[in-house]
Amino acid sequence: MIFDEPNFSPGGDRYITVEFGNELSLELNFMAQGLAGALEEAGTKGLVESAPCFASLLVHYEPRDISYGDMVSELRSLCASLGSTDEIELDSRLFTFETLYLDPWTKECIDDYREKINPDKEYDPDFVARLNGLEDRHQLVRVHSGSEYWVASLGFWPGLPFLQPLDPRAMITCPKYNPPRTWTPQGTVGMGGSASAIYPVATPGGYQLFGRTPVPIWDTGKRFDVFDGDIVLFRPGDRIKFQPVIREAYDDAERKIADGSYIYNIIEYQKFSVRNYKNWIDKLDRNERF
Amino acid sequence: MLEIIKPGLETSIQDFPGRIGYWNQGFPPSGPMDSWSFRLGNILVGNDAGAPGLEAQFMGPTIKLQSDSVIAITGANMAPKLDGEEIPMWQSVAVKAGQTLIMGPALKGARGYLAVAGGIDAPSWLGSASTFHKASVGGLDGNAIKAGQVLPVKAGKGQAGQGQPGRRVKEACRPQFASDKKWQIEAVAGPNDDWIDAAGHAQFLATEWKLEARSDRTGYRLDGPDWTFTEKATNKPPENGEFPSNIVDQGYPLGAINLCGQKPIILVNDGPSMGGFIVPYTVPSAAFWKLGQIKPNEFLCFNQVSVEEAQRLRIELDDMCTEASIES
Repeated sequence: MIFDEPNFSPGGDRYITVEFGNELSLELNFMAQGLAGALEEAGTKGLVESAPCFASLLVHYEPRDISYGDMVSELRSLCASLGSTDEIELDSRLFTFETLYLDPWTKECIDDYREKINPDKEYDPDFVARLNGLEDRHQLVRVHSGSEYWVASLGFWPGLPFLQPLDPRAMITCPKYNPPRTWTPQGTVGMGGSASAIYPVATPGGYQLFGRTPVPIWDTGKRFDVFDGDIVLFRPGDRIKFQPVIREAYDDAERKIADGSYIYNIIEYQKFSVRNYKNWIDKLDRNERF
Repeated sequence: MLEIIKPGLETSIQDFPGRIGYWNQGFPPSGPMDSWSFRLGNILVGNDAGAPGLEAQFMGPTIKLQSDSVIAITGANMAPKLDGEEIPMWQSVAVKAGQTLIMGPALKGARGYLAVAGGIDAPSWLGSASTFHKASVGGLDGNAIKAGQVLPVKAGKGQAGQGQPGRRVKEACRPQFASDKKWQIEAVAGPNDDWIDAAGHAQFLATEWKLEARSDRTGYRLDGPDWTFTEKATNKPPENGEFPSNIVDQGYPLGAINLCGQKPIILVNDGPSMGGFIVPYTVPSAAFWKLGQIKPNEFLCFNQVSVEEAQRLRIELDDMCTEASIES
C-alpha cells in the first residue's frame, strides 16, 4: 500500500528513513526520487546527502546543523509541497546498451554453478521463461528487451543499478538463486524478484542470468568521459534500454571499448513526466506480451 | 616517505570522514573505524584531523622510514618499536630516515593508527583517499598496502605542533577500551523497530552478543538468540520477501543493526547502502570507535539511547578530537 502520510523514523544520530509505502511500485520510487530532488533544490542546511530506494528515501544529515525534529518538519513540508505524484517531473537520461542475450559467458557461469553447487538448476533463461508463462527463452529476450528500465536505486555493490521495467507488458518475476553464486561475469544482465540489474564488476550474486553487455558501467581508470570524473555511470532516475545484438556487434563494441573509441549512446534532453507516463500505461493492455 | 617492509593484515590508507556523498550510487564512506584514535593521531603530528593515515588491523605493519619526520601511534596497542626500542603511544615521536618502525599484534583493541606529519600523499578518489579495497577504490592503487610499496608523504602546512615531538593526548581524552571483553555500545531504536515485539526488544537489550570471526569492515556479525516479531513482520505484501525480517529493499543507515534472517549484522564503514532486511536498531556514530576496537569473540552489550542523546555524544566526541585534548 501507499501510506496516506509518509512515515519518518530515525537511523541513529544522523539518518532519517522516509517510507512512502510497503510495496514495490514505481509510484513509490517516483515519490522517493521526487523528494530527493526537492531536498537538493531546497538546499536545507544540515543536509549531507540522500539516497532513494524502491519505496523509501534515506536522508543523511549533520546533527550539528539541524536537529532530528527540524529535519523531519522540513521533510514533511517538502513532501506536502510535492503534491500529487502526477506533478513530479525528473531529469532522466536514456542509455542504450548493446546486449548479447543467451550469451556463452553467463551460460558458463550457470554451468559452473550446476557442476559445483546444484546439478538440478534449470538453465536460467528457460527457468524464467517457464515461470512467467512465456513460450521459450527467445520470447524472454523479446519481452525483456521490449521495455525501457528505470534506475530505481543503486546499491548492493557500488554502481549496481536496480531496474524496474517501465512498460508493464515487460513485467516478469523470478526468485533469486538459493544458495547464491560465488561469481558472476562483469556486465551480466539478470534479474531477481521483479528487478533487473547489470553487474558492474565480477561479484558473487543471486540473480537469474540471461545476457551480457560489454559496455562498462564502472570506471576506476577514468577511461571514459561520460563518467564525468565519477566511478559509477548511473544515477537514480536514469533509464536503460537493452538492445539485443548478435555476437559480431558485441565483439565490435568490446574492441572499441578496449581501444577507448567506444561511443556511449546516451540521450540527455528528456524529462520523465509521471503524469505522461501514467496516461500512457493506462492505455496499454497489460496482458499483452511481445 | 614510508617504505612498507611488511604490510600487516590489510593495513590501509584511510582519511576522515571518508567518501561522503555517494551513498545513492552505493558507495560507502570507508574511513577509519575508530575515528577518535585516528583523529587524535593526526592532531598530535600537526595535521588536519582527517588527513590520510594508516589503519592497521589485528597485526600491524613494519615500515622503514625514508626521511626524518614526526609520527604518532594511537588506537589499539600494537607495542610499537622503533629500531627495536619501544616508543610511547598517544604521543608525537621524532623519527630519523633509515629507522624501522614495527607495529606488532594488537595486544589490546583491534585497530592501530599511524599518523605522519604532513599526512600520506594519496590520490583523491571521489573526494577521499580512503581505501575501499572490496571494490578496489581509494588508497594508492585501490587496495590495502603491500610489501615493497613506498607511501609518499605530503609536506606539512605549518599547523600547530607540526613536526613537534613530545605532544601527548591528555589521559582523560583517550578512548578507554573494555578490559573485560564486554563493550557497552549505544543503540538508537529504528528505523524498523516496530517490526520487533516487546519480548524481542527486551531480549536484544539484555543479551551479551558475541562478535563472530567472520566480521570485517563491511559488517559485524553477532551471535545470540533468535528474534521475535510483531504482526508487521508476518502480515505484509509478498514483495517484502519470505522471512519475517524481509522488507521491500531500503537504504541502510551506516551503523544499521541489520537483521539478515535471524542474524544481526552491524553495517560499518565499508558496508552496503541498501538491501531487503529490517534494521531494528542503529549504532550511532559516537559508538563507532568501539566497534573498531572490538575483537572477535568479545561481547557487545547494547544500551538504548535517544536520538538526542546520540547526537550529544557525537558532538562531545568531535569536540574531543581537537587541539584542546593535547598537552606537551
